[in-house]
Amino acid sequence: MGRTVITITQQLNETESMLSPFRRTLRRSDQYVFDGLFASARMHIAAIGQAESLLPFETALLAMLLEQSKEIAVLHQELERLKAKNG
Amino acid sequence: MGEATGWLLDVYADDEGGIVLWLLTDNDQRLRLRMDFDVTFYAAGEFSLLRQAWIFLKDKDVKLERKTHRDLFLGQRDVLSVSTSNPANIQKLFGELQRNFPSLDYYDADIPVSLRFIAQTNAHLLGRCRVKLDGEWVQTIEPLDSPWDIDPIPIPLRILTLTPDCNPAVRKPKSLRVQYEQNNYELKLASSRLFLIGLKADLKRIDPDLILTDYGDTWLFPQLKLWSEETGIELNPNRDQDKDVLTRKADSYFAYGQVTYRGAQTHLFGRWHIDRRNVMSFGEYGLEGAMEQARVTGLGIQEMARKSPGAGITAMQMYTALRNGIMIPFQKQQVEGTKTLAGLIRADHGGLIYQPIIGLHGNVAQIDFSSMYPAIMVKHNISPETVGKENAPEGLIPKTLRPLLEKRLMLKNILSDLHPRDCRVEILKARAAALKWLLVVCFGYLGYKNARFGKIESHEAVTAMSRELMLQAKEVAEDMGFTVLHMYVDCLFVQQEGFHTPADFTPLMSAIEEKTGIPIALEGVFKWVAFLSSKRDARVPVPNQYFGAFQDGTLKYRGIELRRRDTTIWVRKIQLATLKILARAGTPEEFANRVPDVLALAENAKRELRAGHVPIHELIVRQKLSRTLDGYKSPSPAARAALQLQAKGRQIALGQSMEFLFAHNASGIHAWELDEALDPGRLDVKRYFRLLDRAIQTVIDPCKSCRVPERLF
Repeated sequence: MGRTVITITQQLNETESMLSPFRRTLRRSDQYVFDGLFASARMHIAAIGQAESLLPFETALLAMLLEQSKEIAVLHQELERLKAKNG
Repeated sequence: MGEATGWLLDVYADDEGGIVLWLLTDNDQRLRLRMDFDVTFYAAGEFSLLRQAWIFLKDKDVKLERKTHRDLFLGQRDVLSVSTSNPANIQKLFGELQRNFPSLDYYDADIPVSLRFIAQTNAHLLGRCRVKLDGEWVQTIEPLDSPWDIDPIPIPLRILTLTPDCNPAVRKPKSLRVQYEQNNYELKLASSRLFLIGLKADLKRIDPDLILTDYGDTWLFPQLKLWSEETGIELNPNRDQDKDVLTRKADSYFAYGQVTYRGAQTHLFGRWHIDRRNVMSFGEYGLEGAMEQARVTGLGIQEMARKSPGAGITAMQMYTALRNGIMIPFQKQQVEGTKTLAGLIRADHGGLIYQPIIGLHGNVAQIDFSSMYPAIMVKHNISPETVGKENAPEGLIPKTLRPLLEKRLMLKNILSDLHPRDCRVEILKARAAALKWLLVVCFGYLGYKNARFGKIESHEAVTAMSRELMLQAKEVAEDMGFTVLHMYVDCLFVQQEGFHTPADFTPLMSAIEEKTGIPIALEGVFKWVAFLSSKRDARVPVPNQYFGAFQDGTLKYRGIELRRRDTTIWVRKIQLATLKILARAGTPEEFANRVPDVLALAENAKRELRAGHVPIHELIVRQKLSRTLDGYKSPSPAARAALQLQAKGRQIALGQSMEFLFAHNASGIHAWELDEALDPGRLDVKRYFRLLDRAIQTVIDPCKSCRVPERLF
């Protein structure tokens, strides 16, 4: 209410809908991964907002990368654990 | 010269000049008193226009002066001061002047007379005072208490409750239940003549201070007038028999993101009328809360009960302005300052809302900043006239809020020391809740387009400060080894292995309080709390949907079906019952063990519904009509219910709540207010099953991800 600038959630929704022809052309399996990228950006809406960027999608891409790096780090940790367990 | 002490019940303009006061005296009398009372408004603008205005007014019964007076934003201004000894006439006088001189700026033109009275005498509504009298004329008035007293002497009201035997919008009532002290009886409505004679006798005998009704605004009082005209039996429900009742038309308005319908209103003079079915937040804090709001805002209780807290906070700001010699503009004058695009993007933000970590979490503390936004306004002196200025004197808004904030904090402190079963707890809770609402809306009014003392920059300053404080709190928590699971505007959910008692979190709270300077309180420690994911994509967290059980077994739930007004009582009851089952789980791990019990309960509930054992009123769905009926492309269930009623000749207004059942018929719904009841065999049971399944899914979903957040680094 009363906001002049649209919220980050709305901006992400708009970008996502703008990219819907792109998404539509992807294979079903890739569409799921594509949705996951936006889901990971949405985990950091507060931070994207705080960045006060004129182009918030740039920051959203960073949030997607952040989640990917986290996922890789978790997998790495798991791999190390399994390696240690199996000698 | 006589003297009287007692409680001030009512203040209003006297049609014959001056004002009327009603005093409930210490010896149980109700005195109608009169008082000379001048009211003044101001006009400012071009001198040539002011000169013409002077000429226009000079032959009227007013006192005209040239003065300088303070505008909050422009400083001292030359004004034409217009005073009259007849407050009842001020609206007419002002209206005439404004029509003739629309380009002048007007001040103090629409202030309720009760506020002017309070600002001038310091005696407040519902408060105690001593009056010196010459006959019925008040010579002096001396306040004996303050609206900020924590424990005022309760006002000994005579309360008469009038309730029809059914909702008049649905069926024609046959009787009216009358309750007064221990008396409880019915007046039959079959003969309007006998009914009026009976009610008139009761009003005379009981002489109530407050008439508390159901549907009094929308049915009883309009009906009384009609019957009175039909039968020729005069019945004036006012205590002041010289006045007619004041009626206000019904309206629909858009506020807080939704359309709201407000029924017609009936206000009385010398006594109060409150219709429990036509009030704003009365359901939440009741008569005690409404009286508390009336006491601190200076608006009459009949106004306060029916209006939003925003009207209350506006009145308080007006009072502060009057007491400090600041003129109150008739219309808002402040517009948003120019900004660059980058500046706008930087400024135009709300509070900090995190995305929680989805799933179930054990031993989580919820800590809340106490009245965060008002506390920021007071501590950082944020007010429309001080924003952007360094070392400005205390602004109008902080000055208004400070006593309110302090009083609420004191009430909360008293409450925390009382045993939950102490008889004072309910009243104090109601009063604290009533004050909370005033504090809550105050922030919104800083940015509201019609607020007299609003300026969007001050609104933005508050949210900017709140985001900064939340980030500071997060940093303090993380420095101390906590995981921040969620942050929502003014509260944080934190967790640390080995921390599970309230005392474990005390050092954290002290550290946050020290860093931010805003008091913080522990809402409680959850045995487990579930943060939910989006129904659309299970990977996306939803910030305002969660539920959990505190260590004492108390439940807290936000945003789930149980909290939604459009959920049926049946679904709500079952969802609550399932949460109670889950509340027996001591840890997130135990949560999953309780799920079979939850599913069994839901199956049993479905059997009960199929067997027709669920009371039909528990299946009513309630939805608001959010647009006019011709504005729907495909009508919502509420619109279809409205169309059914409209076909039967019923008037439907925007914002009105529609009640209906899901049914097997052409439109799929059956409006509850239709005269003919729904054949139970036509109830759309499967639709209700789907509603229940959804609610059950919400509460068991989190156990899919019974996990603790990964701690990587």
